[in-house]
Amino acid sequence: MGGRLSRTLAVAANTFRETVRERVLYNLVFFAILLTVAGLLLGQLSVRQDEKILKDIGLAAMDLFGTLIAVFIGTGLVSKEIERRSLYPLLAKPLSRGEFYLGKFAGLAFTLLVNLGAMLLGLLLTLLLTGRRPDPVLLGAVFPILLGLLLTVAFAMLFSSLTSATLAAVLTVSVVVVGRFADVIRGMRDVAPGVPPALVNALFAIVPNFSNFDFKSKVAYGDAVPAAVLGWTMLYAAAWIVVVLGLGLAAFRARDFK
Amino acid sequence: MTWRLALLLLAAASLVPASQARIDQHTGTFRAQEEVLYLWSGEHVRRLVPGFESLAADIYWLRTVQYFGGQRLFVSGKRFELLRPLIDITTTLDPRLEIAYRYGAIFLSEPPPLGAGRPREGVAVLERGVAALPESWRLRQDLGFFHVLFLKDPQTASRILIEASQIPGAAFWLRTMAADVLAKGGDRASARLMWQRMFEQSEEGIIRENARVRLSILDSLDARDALAAAVAESARRHGHWPARLDKLAAEGLWRRPLADAAGYPFGYDPSTGRVFITDQSPMWRPD
Repeated sequence: MGGRLSRTLAVAANTFRETVRERVLYNLVFFAILLTVAGLLLGQLSVRQDEKILKDIGLAAMDLFGTLIAVFIGTGLVSKEIERRSLYPLLAKPLSRGEFYLGKFAGLAFTLLVNLGAMLLGLLLTLLLTGRRPDPVLLGAVFPILLGLLLTVAFAMLFSSLTSATLAAVLTVSVVVVGRFADVIRGMRDVAPGVPPALVNALFAIVPNFSNFDFKSKVAYGDAVPAAVLGWTMLYAAAWIVVVLGLGLAAFRARDFK
Repeated sequence: MTWRLALLLLAAASLVPASQARIDQHTGTFRAQEEVLYLWSGEHVRRLVPGFESLAADIYWLRTVQYFGGQRLFVSGKRFELLRPLIDITTTLDPRLEIAYRYGAIFLSEPPPLGAGRPREGVAVLERGVAALPESWRLRQDLGFFHVLFLKDPQTASRILIEASQIPGAAFWLRTMAADVLAKGGDRASARLMWQRMFEQSEEGIIRENARVRLSILDSLDARDALAAAVAESARRHGHWPARLDKLAAEGLWRRPLADAAGYPFGYDPSTGRVFITDQSPMWRPD
């Protein structure tokens, strides 16, 4: 058990190092410039809405940059190893496909955590430097963003286990976009009453509802996200991640690399 | 080779602002805002940016401020046609952006050249805000004020002000003001009190500045009326209208400047004794 965990962590650490080497964290520089410019200009332009807009920009950038990293690095995690044939020597070692797959997931998850943490710190610092209170309720939006990103990575890895990196990226983006429109599926009953409710319910159930992870507008106004809501959101994310990771792992295990 | 490349880059970069200036010359600096008409519904915009509605609202808010400021400063024959759609899109994307309702309502209602001169639309924006933020007593208070100040409807205003006073945390004076508005039908004293409240409640910026101008206009109207009374007193003493306003000082009937709050001299018609604020003055408003 301990050996299995340490092997998984070794893959995770290696994946983290790899993403850093691929200059993924360079997006932080852009984030810092964005916040600095916004902090300097908004006071003049926004009729006293600079704090709210600064928070909106910071949180939206965390979500957007995080999603881009999750999709484009996530889809390459498995497929690149296959294309470069670096997977074969790895699997020849005493390392199971499950340990490899979960290690890759954990490594990118850690990269995203570091990225989000740095961005949150940057946002709090900008608020502080522009004379605003660094609001801890922001965490109520950042944590669900992280959950959404982890689910995105799980999808990216699932698709990249089944197909090429490019197609996997397209499919992952599609799932994320459709997931953000999940409420439209739920509202289908109102606009198309002829559609059988069972079909609507089934569609709604099989699409991950990414809007569940969106509390940005709420916290931008200083409203805390209730702990119970965060708890249920975490459970929702965990359930989806387990299902998607499980499917991805099954696909990866079933794949013939000969 | 490197310096040649640098020179080429510099030359190319300098062409960007130059060509932009030429394009603007042909198409107008503010044409970009007109694109917003293609996105006529906030709901459509909202559907385009799932998860980023708040940020989109901020962008539209900044465009609203820019558009309004740009029109006020640079456009002759200002009509502010895009102000309402911009406010609607902004508040659909972020229904909690209280400042957008207040800003939109004021500048839609104010007569030209300060605003669009469409007070019914201003009131409609506030009604939308009140529906979106039922716990905001300030928005409801503004709705009541606007019914008096722009629609001259003290009955409705009084009812709305009473509703505002019942919201938890509402200012204590709202109930008294509701009674005053009903009793006096929205006279100048009530209007002064309302603009004074709006001035006190706004932070430094364009909304506060508008309230300050409004208070100065009321000061000017008070001064005009006092001057007209002095003219009438002089006519009573001498049996004819004074030939010029400065005669009043010699008679000891007027000791203040003969100008409105913006420093523009009052107009005077010696054949009728009418004193008025000249239409060149920023204090002038149509009757």
